Amino acid sequence: MAPNVKDRPVLRRRRRSGGRPSYWSGLGAAFWLVIVAIPLYFLVATSLRGSGDYMSEGPLAIPDNLTFDNYLNVFEVGFLRFLGNSLIVALGAVGLVLLVAVPAAFGIVRSRSRVVATTFSLFLLGLAVPAQAVIIPVYLLITRMNLYDTLIAVILPTAAFSLPISILVLTSSLRDVPGSLYEAMALDGATNRQVFLRLVLPLSRPGVMTVAIFVGLNAWNNFIFPLVLTQSESTRVLPLGLWAFQTQYGTDVPGLMAAVVLSSLPILALYLFGRRQLLGGLAAGFGK
Amino acid sequence: MSRTHRISVIGSTALALTLVATACGSSGPGMSEDALQVWALEEAAVNDVLQASMDSYNEGAEIDSELVTFVNDAYKQRLQVALGSPNAPDVFFNWGGGNLSEYVDQGQVFNMTTALDENPEFRDSFLPSVLDVARIEDGYYGVPMLGMQPVVLFTNNAVLEESGLEAPQTYDELLEAVEVLKEDEVTPIVLPGAQGWTQLMWLSYLVERIGGPDVFQAVVDGEEGAWEHPAMIEAMEKCQELVDAGAFGPNFASIDYDGGGASAMLANGDAAMFLMGSWDLSQQQENHPDFASGGDLGYVPFPVVEGGEGEEGAVVGNPSNYFSINDDSLNPDAAVDFLVETVTSDEYVTGLIDAGQVPAVEGIEDQLADSDYADFAVFTHGMVSEAPSFTQSWDQAIPPAAAEALLTNLQLLFLGETTPEDFAKDMESFL
Amino acid sequence: MRSTYTTERPGFVWVAPALLFFGLFGLGPVLIVLYLSLTDWSGLGAPEWVGLDNWVRLGEDEQVRSSLGITLFLTLLCWATQTPMALAFGSWAAGTQKSRAVVSSIFFLPLLLSTAAIALLWKAILEPHYGLPGQIGPLFGFNGNVLGDSTLALYAIAFIVLWQFLPFHMLLYQAAARQVPRSLYEAAELDGASPFQRFLRITVPQLRHTIIASSVLMIVGSMTYFETVLLLTNGGPGNATRILPLYMYTQGFVSFEMGYASAIAVVLVVLGTGLSLLVVRVTGYSRMTSQREGI
Repeated sequence: MAPNVKDRPVLRRRRRSGGRPSYWSGLGAAFWLVIVAIPLYFLVATSLRGSGDYMSEGPLAIPDNLTFDNYLNVFEVGFLRFLGNSLIVALGAVGLVLLVAVPAAFGIVRSRSRVVATTFSLFLLGLAVPAQAVIIPVYLLITRMNLYDTLIAVILPTAAFSLPISILVLTSSLRDVPGSLYEAMALDGATNRQVFLRLVLPLSRPGVMTVAIFVGLNAWNNFIFPLVLTQSESTRVLPLGLWAFQTQYGTDVPGLMAAVVLSSLPILALYLFGRRQLLGGLAAGFGK
Repeated sequence: MSRTHRISVIGSTALALTLVATACGSSGPGMSEDALQVWALEEAAVNDVLQASMDSYNEGAEIDSELVTFVNDAYKQRLQVALGSPNAPDVFFNWGGGNLSEYVDQGQVFNMTTALDENPEFRDSFLPSVLDVARIEDGYYGVPMLGMQPVVLFTNNAVLEESGLEAPQTYDELLEAVEVLKEDEVTPIVLPGAQGWTQLMWLSYLVERIGGPDVFQAVVDGEEGAWEHPAMIEAMEKCQELVDAGAFGPNFASIDYDGGGASAMLANGDAAMFLMGSWDLSQQQENHPDFASGGDLGYVPFPVVEGGEGEEGAVVGNPSNYFSINDDSLNPDAAVDFLVETVTSDEYVTGLIDAGQVPAVEGIEDQLADSDYADFAVFTHGMVSEAPSFTQSWDQAIPPAAAEALLTNLQLLFLGETTPEDFAKDMESFL
Repeated sequence: MRSTYTTERPGFVWVAPALLFFGLFGLGPVLIVLYLSLTDWSGLGAPEWVGLDNWVRLGEDEQVRSSLGITLFLTLLCWATQTPMALAFGSWAAGTQKSRAVVSSIFFLPLLLSTAAIALLWKAILEPHYGLPGQIGPLFGFNGNVLGDSTLALYAIAFIVLWQFLPFHMLLYQAAARQVPRSLYEAAELDGASPFQRFLRITVPQLRHTIIASSVLMIVGSMTYFETVLLLTNGGPGNATRILPLYMYTQGFVSFEMGYASAIAVVLVVLGTGLSLLVVRVTGYSRMTSQREGI
């Protein structure tokens, strides 16, 4: 760290003199900023337009008459139920994953058994299995278990396919725990269960947080499992709700955009109040 | 507890779970001797009407009727599983035509011909072209129970007038109108070609006009060579002729019906004509009320093709939905009695009209004339009641795999990426 | 059984629930799909054994070949656009300037929208008459036909995928670029290396782990493009965007030919898993991670 402090003035001076690359990167960033901003502006502006105005005003015009009617309409077509379903699915998946993944990570990090090591390789292999490719057998399992068209039907496979990455993140965060801590507890005669409860659980909190956000977001955004495993309005989750909104109330683009905005508000709130954790959870340790 | 023991506990629990999971049969509603089980699709407005009529029926009936509703997607599957099992309904909702004939072929549907003959008044109260969709070979296997949705040619009369045109009555007039409208820089016909079923409307009407209803019936019946019938090929060529003439504009393949752009184009005067199911009228009412009730929105039957074999006035679209009786029903007589007493009752028909439907029933012109979309309702009712035949939407009438291939081929045909011959050849493989 | 002088070690029982659960819903389906690919199954009743019928059909199905081509092309296109941009923006965003922090926090915004939301948003934007193409297109003499054009549709999907996933990969590179020791840059600077040279000679090699990780994620993630395609074009116009996962979905859940769809699914599993393992093997990524884990 020390040399940094000393060299910093040099760095600053250089930057100012050779400004060309900053221009380039700045220009590139500005360009992409426009590419990102226009659709988002379209999204918000359209959601505030009257449905009649949308066709006449043009997509990028500043709305003449701001209206929140579209948002009110969204609530009338079952938005709250879809929101609730999505929350249940996300929380259910997170709970289920943590319930089995934290003990598994403890086992993998501390065990010397060959079977456990093999298990870990199985999970690593599972990282490369695309969930989309096995929807047919998952559909078969779910219908045979008489779970079709329930929220549990969505939670189970969503959680299962989040397990490999969750276990990977949790094991790497547990590996940072110094062995001496375990030994100290062992000297006190602690059983595995005590070690798990008193040492592993508290120390794995950052990893748990990351996993919870990663799994929760995946479940929240998941489209294919709900698409294939549920069908009625009572089990509809938000992404499917948006789609159904389009086909049922097809002509109402402003209404659809209002629904899109509303569906992203919970995540936006997370972003505003816990940006670091959210982004960390998204990257789920990949960028480490 | 030793480790091995714990593992075996986990193992056996898992095994037990799997067994439970696989062993559980489906449970649910089922037949009984003292109730009529009626299955229908979940559709709020219509379910209320049906339930109300069933309540009235139950007051005087010996055997009560019970309504069970399902969401669209899973319904066909549920029904297929249930028919032939003890969980089957007595009366079930279906789409008539090809859909119904699958169940009839499996011997699962009660032949209602005799029952209809015994109740001639009931039989004759339906529009013949719509009732005929439930005729499989020589027997009647169902009765219409919902509104009709024929496909009609919507027009923006202000746009037509500005170009000195009237709604075309023949295919040649249509082609001429396309030329004129193109010169006036209006999209002659809006076609939401991002969705193949909108292109299907063109093909099926042209086939009907050129070759009559038997051409497609041969497809439903699985006759070899049905897709290669000369009328079929000629209709496909005419579709491509329209595309090449610029009838649908340069970007029709990007337009999506669900996105609302197509209906808006007609309403805003960006397009002059729009071939669509009668349901589009309520879309226009909702999203472009000024256009819908301002007098510019017109509607005419599909133009005739000169020299074609199809009878004038034949209709294509969604004829209706049907109630059929399970052949295994423990109370077929009660089921017939139920249908006779409800689906043409004043209460039920009025309820449907109030819900914006046009029931396939004779003698309701006066009632329709008082309804919300009076002119249009009277028009569609008149069109269908005079129609010599009503061809069901092809994608409903043929098995799902064939329907999927049909819609893809249609897109390719309109894009000019396949020829009528290749189209027909590909579809032949599904017969 | 173990001698008592070492600490008690947790056994298999700790991983068993996770393994069982993942076995049932994760690995189990991989085996079941293989079995289903040898059956005829409409989704109802019991699958019927038909031996290799589906595989013979698969070999003769031109659509499979064309879908496979489209899938590989789209995956490659997405990889080739996302990687350099994510690398450049990610290392740019790793800088500490306030303006960069503000701009990159806007870059991250698409992360907050679900795939379904993004697809529906872009579908509205690309409407040929009332969306952007209808407004801007005429200025360039363009007729607004984007999603209906057999060539443009695929590029439009690649662009939307880029719009959606760039921030995620940028995030990975940003985090990694922040870990590159400053001293490396300073030394290069003293040698008179231009910023671009520094990027090529220091940033890129230092981020090679991340490049591989991000590439693997893109390959496995290319399966999720299915949702975008389903909502935007449903494989159209014609078959122009019918990627293999979508073809499988349509065969299975629209045509109800689940047996045949399972055969396609097996191809997808082999493709997805195989490609990722190949990348890992070729680049020696597993060795690198085990080294990293050893630290």
